[in-house]
Amino acid sequence: QVVDHYENPRNVGSLDRNAKNVGTGLVGAPACGDVMKLQVEVDENGKIVDARFKTFGCGSAIASSSLATEWVKGKTVDEALKIKNTDIAKELCLPPVKLHCSMLAEDAIKAALADYKLKQDPNKDESEKKA
Amino acid sequence: RLQKEQQYSEQHSSWINKAYRTLLSPVSRGLYLLELNGVEPAQETDCDADSVFLTEIMEINEKLAEPKNEDILKEIETLIRAKQEELTKDVTAAFERDDLQEAKKLLAKMKYFANLEDKLKNKKITS
Repeated sequence: QVVDHYENPRNVGSLDRNAKNVGTGLVGAPACGDVMKLQVEVDENGKIVDARFKTFGCGSAIASSSLATEWVKGKTVDEALKIKNTDIAKELCLPPVKLHCSMLAEDAIKAALADYKLKQDPNKDESEKKA
Repeated sequence: RLQKEQQYSEQHSSWINKAYRTLLSPVSRGLYLLELNGVEPAQETDCDADSVFLTEIMEINEKLAEPKNEDILKEIETLIRAKQEELTKDVTAAFERDDLQEAKKLLAKMKYFANLEDKLKNKKITS
């Protein structure tokens, strides 16, 4: 599974980060220096209709983010927030030393959804969050 | 008795190699210094709080991922080296004034650049 998602990653690419219905999550893993960008496009009904990622790091990180984009598609924002790193790790049979990669993917999902939510809310009190 | 000596030599040889490798690179050297001082290296995900920095890393990664000619690779290499030198200076300063938390933060940044350096080396070898 890991090899498949690594050699044939799904949903690699970018969405327009300036679009109001696109949420962008950019996260890094300081321990191994991996970076992961995950973006979601949400429709008027709060459903995620598209997701893309760009990950620079180990195979497990790439596979985790690839799987994450597959999983969020079709889910509502709230459903997607429930995705846990343990589910990702189990699905990919990640060894213990690579568990942090699935955690990174979970954090990326949350960051993207948080960004999307912030853009929907006109009260911009967290001004240091980039759009 | 000879076998015991051999095992002993092998073990110590392996430790020396590990020590040498650790001391060779500023990042691993710095992380080891942190460890000696009882500070754990950064483990938690960096989130959008460092988004400017992460965006920069992302952009350099993306540039490296595209097929490039030698000149552009040289440019990227110079940029990465400059950043690493700057960070090394800052980490040194942080250690000197015993600001271990700052050293920890800066070493995390250095790790990203160390990865970029490796990727660049691989790119040069394969192109």
